[in-house]
Amino acid sequence: MASVTESPSSVRKVIVQLKATADAPILKQNKFKIPGTDKFAKVIDFLRRQLHRETVFVYINSAFSPNPDELVIDLFNNFGVDGKLLVNYACSMAWG
Amino acid sequence: MEAQKYVWEGAIPLQIHLNESEVTTLPPPPPALILAPRIGYLPLLIPLIKPHFAATLPPGVDTVWFDYKGLPLKWYIPTGVLFDLLCAEPERPWNLTVHFRGYPNNLLIPCEGEDSVKWSFINSLKEADYIISGNCKNVMHMSQFDQLELWHSVMNGNLEAYLRTSSKLKFGIVEDEYTLKIDLCSQKSRKTTGEVGMGGQMKTGKIPVRLYIWSVSEDFEDFEDMPKIDSWDKISYINQPIEIHREEGKCFTLHDALKSLMPEFLVDKSLIDEESFRLEGEDEQVILSEDLSSNRMAAEGREISCQSVESTCTSGAAEIKLVRIQGIEPKLEIPFSWVVNNLKNPEHFLHICVCLKFPQVNSLDR
Repeated sequence: MASVTESPSSVRKVIVQLKATADAPILKQNKFKIPGTDKFAKVIDFLRRQLHRETVFVYINSAFSPNPDELVIDLFNNFGVDGKLLVNYACSMAWG
Repeated sequence: MEAQKYVWEGAIPLQIHLNESEVTTLPPPPPALILAPRIGYLPLLIPLIKPHFAATLPPGVDTVWFDYKGLPLKWYIPTGVLFDLLCAEPERPWNLTVHFRGYPNNLLIPCEGEDSVKWSFINSLKEADYIISGNCKNVMHMSQFDQLELWHSVMNGNLEAYLRTSSKLKFGIVEDEYTLKIDLCSQKSRKTTGEVGMGGQMKTGKIPVRLYIWSVSEDFEDFEDMPKIDSWDKISYINQPIEIHREEGKCFTLHDALKSLMPEFLVDKSLIDEESFRLEGEDEQVILSEDLSSNRMAAEGREISCQSVESTCTSGAAEIKLVRIQGIEPKLEIPFSWVVNNLKNPEHFLHICVCLKFPQVNSLDR
């Protein structure tokens, strides 16, 4: 809980857990924190860079692909499990 | 359901101008006049628009996008929602500019025509399913054929086909005593469109909602005088489900629903006169900024942009100036269940546009 005097830079962070699906390579670091006010696009871009691929398919809880403009905090609040946002990634469409 | 029919038949008259720098012929082509379905999406109109301008376009590959008064339009937001959000005073026809080149990749996520829109739609549907039932099984178990049928029914604005196909989803409708009272005429139709099975009934389930908020710091005589939205930063977007709280003898209204999404910003009107600093709820995560050009408030990791010209804003005393759903400004006392059942979009999300007024305060005693 932030106090009134806290600076705006101490925005709540969300723990994102990345999980490889199907043929996707497993990343060395698969857990990290990201400010809740960031867009989901940041997670997608991170994966693109790490996997050296233009096209990455990304899912939440192996269920659906959220819009990249969604805020990470909203996705965490709605779909987070065990204090984390579980993001599955694949190099080809996993769940069409 | 009568209301659902009106929603599906709702359309925005568009007057689409070709971006000046892409006009290579004289005289320039006249604007294209298109009637855009409210529940549809702008990229789906491209096959109708392109023929008007094809002859005048410079050589190159098409990367189509639209803007309204310079603001690039997010293509995955239903057309009706864009109109309700960006035109405080409805502009008819709505003047948009179409671009076939120079896609602003830094501002808009890419769109490759119908496929991108369909992908976005189906995933939103899965997201709604997840919110309503805790998983995506309803959508996943739908055959590819049925999923396509559903998508086509939305593309073609065919409500009959949509109701037929979506009944296989077993999402159900929100049921409470207010649904039954108001929807007496739909009792018949509910019996014929198939049963709402055990798994489909949403009793106190969560309602998928997309809330778009913009704020002002003063009252305006006319909506026309409101400062225009020239950047998506001026709109706060909240994707948060609403849980209907049932209380004996009390109706869960639209106002109750909105308060549940923004407890730290909304105060009952009766309290505003008494004390402008009173906050609802226990969370007082208010961070005041003294940036005069764009004042922001942060609460629980979310910021609401406040367009104030001079003084800083405080939170907690916001007044709802405008609520628009499917182009309608419903009374806040309306039962929320009716709103959900009748005004939600085909992907089962309820899109709500809200304008909040935060009072200007000259002195702060924090």
